[in-house]
Amino acid sequence: MSAAPTAPEGSGTHEYTHLAPKFAELAELPQGDPRREAVRDALVTGHLPLAEHIATRFSHRGVAREDLVQVGTVGLINAVDRFDPARGIDFLSYAVPTIMGEVRRYFRDTAWSVRVPRRLKELHLTISAAGNELSQRLGRAPTPSEIAAHLDIPKEDVYEGLEAGQVYQSVSLDEALSAGEPGSDPLADTLGEDDAGLLGIEDHESLRPLIERLPERERTILLLRFFKNMTQTQIAERIGVSQMHVSRLLTKTLETLRTGLVEEPGKG
Amino acid sequence: MTDSDRGVYDGGVPDNRAATAAPRAGFTPAVDDRIRLRFAADLLNLPVVRSVAGTVAALQDHDIDAISDFKLAVDEVCSTLITRAVPGSELECSFVRDGDLVCFEAAATTAAEVVVDTSSFGWRVLTTLTDRVDSWAGPGPDGQPTLHIYIARGRTGGTA
Repeated sequence: MSAAPTAPEGSGTHEYTHLAPKFAELAELPQGDPRREAVRDALVTGHLPLAEHIATRFSHRGVAREDLVQVGTVGLINAVDRFDPARGIDFLSYAVPTIMGEVRRYFRDTAWSVRVPRRLKELHLTISAAGNELSQRLGRAPTPSEIAAHLDIPKEDVYEGLEAGQVYQSVSLDEALSAGEPGSDPLADTLGEDDAGLLGIEDHESLRPLIERLPERERTILLLRFFKNMTQTQIAERIGVSQMHVSRLLTKTLETLRTGLVEEPGKG
Repeated sequence: MTDSDRGVYDGGVPDNRAATAAPRAGFTPAVDDRIRLRFAADLLNLPVVRSVAGTVAALQDHDIDAISDFKLAVDEVCSTLITRAVPGSELECSFVRDGDLVCFEAAATTAAEVVVDTSSFGWRVLTTLTDRVDSWAGPGPDGQPTLHIYIARGRTGGTA
């Protein structure tokens, strides 16, 4: 076991000890009491370092740390909601396995849901890297034949490699390519600016909360593509990931928004 | 760009409406330069169309931005049609090259005559990702209300 969030059970004190009374408080408040939310929020926020710590432990496995922190936070929220202080165990001994379980499930369900042959993964990585390099040199996105010429491989291989990236979540490959510092671009402010752009859109009222709920990087990419009209290659450069990663994130984001737009009115 | 040379889709009345009059996205000419897909109007089939779209655009040697944009747009078109299609119906799609443009057209049977809202976010997505977008509704060959969407995309920057 590494130096970890797993605190000594029962008697020990740790950095979260001061939060313990809040669980009792939450348990005493009746369901539907408006005060519950504030207590629950405080518990989740207070324990966030725990989710971050666990995410960090998994972060060298090829999934962006920020994605893992989100997944870990979901696990944390579940743990806070399901924890029963009356059972006399420390919250951490309950929460740590819950959060780790959530992160493991994420790896299992999304990261490698489809087995892609190693050759294709490598081909995809090579093509993605060549795409980045050629974009720099040409000042625009290269074509498959330019990539093929650059790598001295058949065009068919390029087609195959381009498609391989869509079949599985090759986050690992792209994270490996990007220079790190995920989500460091302070572009979050673009949202405010784009209010005008959104207003031209009929369904902006149902759209706005969906956009606000997106992870920061996904939101930035969406706004740059659809409201600033930047190309995927320009966005890739700005964010510090590959063009293929931008493409994949956009596919996912548009799907999320479509699902949200279809479902929201029905619920209301 | 030479895209208006053929004038095929001018005024939103595509010439393949004749071909459309038989099976909708046209299986009458046994062989032509179109690539056709016909599948159940189910979102589960999106990866198939997306993948074909990517390959069709790559074969035309569009730049990788244009290829991904085209794939995203095809995804959007098909999602739009699938969510409006009569349950259990099918989507008919075809890809065709038109000069420097790679074009995609799809049609779905709808319960009542519906049109695509051109002030929606989905429409903004399509107009951003492609060079031409069109949509029209009307009775299909079997008299059922049918919704069509057409998109065309050239290389990024509009140069050949």
